Amino acid sequence: MSGCENAVDYVYQYLDDELTYAHKTRIKWHLKRCGHCMSAFQFETSLKGKIAEGGKSAPPAELFDTLRALIEQERNKGDSDC
Amino acid sequence: MQYAPQLYSAALRMTRNPADAEDVVQETFLKAYRAYDSFTEGTNLKAWLYRILTNTYINKYRKKQRRPSEVELGELQDLYLFKRLGEQSGAQVSAESQALDMFVDEDIIEAIESLPENFRLPVLYADVDGFSYKEIAEILDIPIGTVMSRLHRGRKGLQRKLWNLAVEHGLVEPSE
Repeated sequence: MSGCENAVDYVYQYLDDELTYAHKTRIKWHLKRCGHCMSAFQFETSLKGKIAEGGKSAPPAELFDTLRALIEQERNKGDSDC
Repeated sequence: MQYAPQLYSAALRMTRNPADAEDVVQETFLKAYRAYDSFTEGTNLKAWLYRILTNTYINKYRKKQRRPSEVELGELQDLYLFKRLGEQSGAQVSAESQALDMFVDEDIIEAIESLPENFRLPVLYADVDGFSYKEIAEILDIPIGTVMSRLHRGRKGLQRKLWNLAVEHGLVEPSE
């Protein structure tokens, strides 16, 4: 298996920090020598960051009040059961 | 309340609907409150809450949808989006990463939500919520190898959707 194939096969595990230190180091060495794999890894890193940011949505402001009221109600229910 | 914003956001990606997302989060908090005795102090509270969230979503909506949850994405090339964009920009090395700027948050959300559920949840948990493979395996109650293969294919599916969106919006030249 070539260095490129080996690097590309493990790109996600590399980015997700799920590889052993030794494996990660071998891939790092390959990236230093291979501009194409390096730009592919940089691309996947940027995309992962973009998904992490863009994939989040803020909750409506009243959600916290609703949750607080819900738990309060549940707590009171528990008290009255005793 | 600590994880309410993340849980709401995840619920919204699952249900694709704000009212349903609020319902799922409310039910999750109620169940978590009632089951708190079963939570071991000092262990992973966030993963525990996500497990309740996931089960709540599945119980509530999988029945309603009545569609098979195991959908395949077909064969997809590795580095799908990188290669498509590379064909556009020729030999410029950094052009692919710059090309990512053309995607706005709505595109990212649409691409995540377009994935079939069995791929969407692992991608969501890994890329948006930052869980490890082991945590995702526990949340979804599937083997770690299954997490990895779904994540791998799910990410390629997401990249294909982003590419298709770029084509639809006239931002790139279709390659085929």
